[in-house]
Amino acid sequence: MIRLENVSMEYRLKSERVEALREVTLHLREGSFEAIMGPSGSGKTTLIQLIAGLLTPTTGEVIVSGERLSQLDDAKISAFRNRTIGFVFQFFNLPNYYNAMDNTALPLVFAGVDERHRRERARALLTEFGLEDRLNHKPDQLSGGEAQRVAIARALITNPKIILADEPTGNLDRDTGTHVMELLQRINRERGVTVLMVTHDEKAAAFAQRVIRIEKGELA
Amino acid sequence: MIRRRDYLRLTLQKLALRKRRAAFAIVSVALGVVVVVTVNSLMVGVRDVAVKTIWTEEIDPDVIRVYAGDNPYEYTMTPDEEKRKAKKRMQFLTESVFDEIRAWPGVEAADRPVTVQPVSISALDKRPRGVGEIQGVPEALLLRYVKDRSLVAGISNAIPLVVGEREVKLKFDEKRGRLDEDPNGEASWLKRDVTIVLGDNYAMVAHFNYDYAKHEYKRVADEDVTARRDELERSYRGMYDMTIFNTTLTLKGRVVGFCPGSKVLMPFDAAELCEKWIDERNRLAARNPPRTAESAVYGESGQRAPKPGEYAEGVVLVKHGADVESVAKRIEDMGFTVATRARTFENQAEAFDSTVHIVKEVAFALGGLILGLACALVWSTTSKTVSDSRVDIGLFRALGATKRDIRRLFLGEAMLQGVLGTVVGMVVGWVLAVGISHWVIGFARQSVFDPEEALLIPDSIFSINLMFSFLLIVGAAVVSLLAGLLPANRAANVDPVKALKRE
Repeated sequence: MIRLENVSMEYRLKSERVEALREVTLHLREGSFEAIMGPSGSGKTTLIQLIAGLLTPTTGEVIVSGERLSQLDDAKISAFRNRTIGFVFQFFNLPNYYNAMDNTALPLVFAGVDERHRRERARALLTEFGLEDRLNHKPDQLSGGEAQRVAIARALITNPKIILADEPTGNLDRDTGTHVMELLQRINRERGVTVLMVTHDEKAAAFAQRVIRIEKGELA
Repeated sequence: MIRRRDYLRLTLQKLALRKRRAAFAIVSVALGVVVVVTVNSLMVGVRDVAVKTIWTEEIDPDVIRVYAGDNPYEYTMTPDEEKRKAKKRMQFLTESVFDEIRAWPGVEAADRPVTVQPVSISALDKRPRGVGEIQGVPEALLLRYVKDRSLVAGISNAIPLVVGEREVKLKFDEKRGRLDEDPNGEASWLKRDVTIVLGDNYAMVAHFNYDYAKHEYKRVADEDVTARRDELERSYRGMYDMTIFNTTLTLKGRVVGFCPGSKVLMPFDAAELCEKWIDERNRLAARNPPRTAESAVYGESGQRAPKPGEYAEGVVLVKHGADVESVAKRIEDMGFTVATRARTFENQAEAFDSTVHIVKEVAFALGGLILGLACALVWSTTSKTVSDSRVDIGLFRALGATKRDIRRLFLGEAMLQGVLGTVVGMVVGWVLAVGISHWVIGFARQSVFDPEEALLIPDSIFSINLMFSFLLIVGAAVVSLLAGLLPANRAANVDPVKALKRE
């Protein structure tokens, strides 16, 4: 499903060269639930950004669902992200000028889906996640848990094969975080969506089938 | 691929987030457009009014009016013409000059015009537009307007008169207070005998006032007419012996034809005699030294009055079909100024056109300047939106928006500001132009010399140039697209990883 072959990633920070990932080779099964753990600056987020095609590795190859990401142009990689990847961010990233339904439906705007179908699908997902009475609420009118559920609904709206979650519980209290993790686990089990989650939280990581540890850009 | 409707929605949402800034940019664009649209909507109409009120019909197409001084029909003079005028030596028209012109091929007659005044003509004197003078013209010119030459040949006891078409083709509708076209006017006037009262000092006392606001003539009360006569008489009393000065000579005239304009013409010889009679009467009545001829002003030599045998004006009649302009040129070469119907109209129209052109250029330059500033504002607003939207851009890219989508989104925002500003500016410009048109028409109707011209002035000078409006919108869209190009490219190249890291 997801294969990283000898992937290295280097940044230039001012004049200094920073090696974020070093010769990483990783295989993730379809339908698995994996957590990546490691200290800050170890390269966790870089790893999922490479898998999403937001970054291009300095060396090595990232292959997702049979697509060699380095060979895709901007239009193709954007379409790939839209259809194959769902993002869940630590700070939700829900624009406040959209209500819950419009935020959820946003990826379908970039897929060219008409408004009626977008709203139908967003309503169904939000109802499934218990947010039927929050459809027209703006993000700042939602609790942290509700906002993250909206973000998860948005990640699922295009029926992606993979959900990349970057510290999904990082901005939530313990109970809410647990609820969000249960939701991600349910999605993984019921829909067969591959979930790759970056986290610092051992309790959150416990929901995953496998924990990948990374340190100084290398898999431990 | 984002749907078009969604592009518009996303763009409007982005604009709504920066209402004040966007409104400022839109208002700036609108301001520039208002200047350009207002001027453009009025200029065609203003020219139309000017052309309709240019007084050129008095000049027959085959007649050249010759002047020793400035051409009174000249609207403006170019700097070159001013220089030429300053270099000219002073000279008046004389009999020998007329003799020389008469000898040219293509010239039918050349003489000075004789103006007989004051004079009143029965049937014309109590009408709204009074006639206070008769002009004596060469017989050849008079004969051009005569309907049937036998009418002139048969006259022994009356002076043949040619009356201006404006007088006979209009009849006065007392009820409505207006002059209306009279299709039977010529027929009813031809061969009509009229009484000419030579030396009627009160011929021009108005019996009607024109109400410019209501566009109608109102009869002056009899006591007011008498009061005006008395006032005039009091002003004469100091200069003339009123017993002699009030003496008039009654002659019989017969209408034999019609000429363009509103003048009344009679044969040159008869006019000379009438002029002589009036001059003699005035000389006898004068308490002070007799009046001198009006001095002509021109050239570096200043001014002086014509001596006996010198004339400030002349009339040259060109044979039908001959080249009027080449004769006019020859007269000009002799050092006189000339007015022909064609060149007078053209001169005035050209002068007006050049004024319109200057006004347009100034307005367009000003509008262009404001639009340039507005474009800078559009650029700045779009730039600011891009800077403020980095996280959103990063999110959109992560959710599947292409670079092209992002670029189009911000280009759309810039274009929307430009087009909205243009449309708002156009509407405001049109409304303003309608208001100005209303004011100009009111002003023009009150300032024209002849009330009849006020009837020629249209109700509005406002017009919409559809092609211009279309090009303006397209131009605004293109220019605002260019203004948005740089920020839109910057937005398209925002690194989503860096943008999302801000969170």
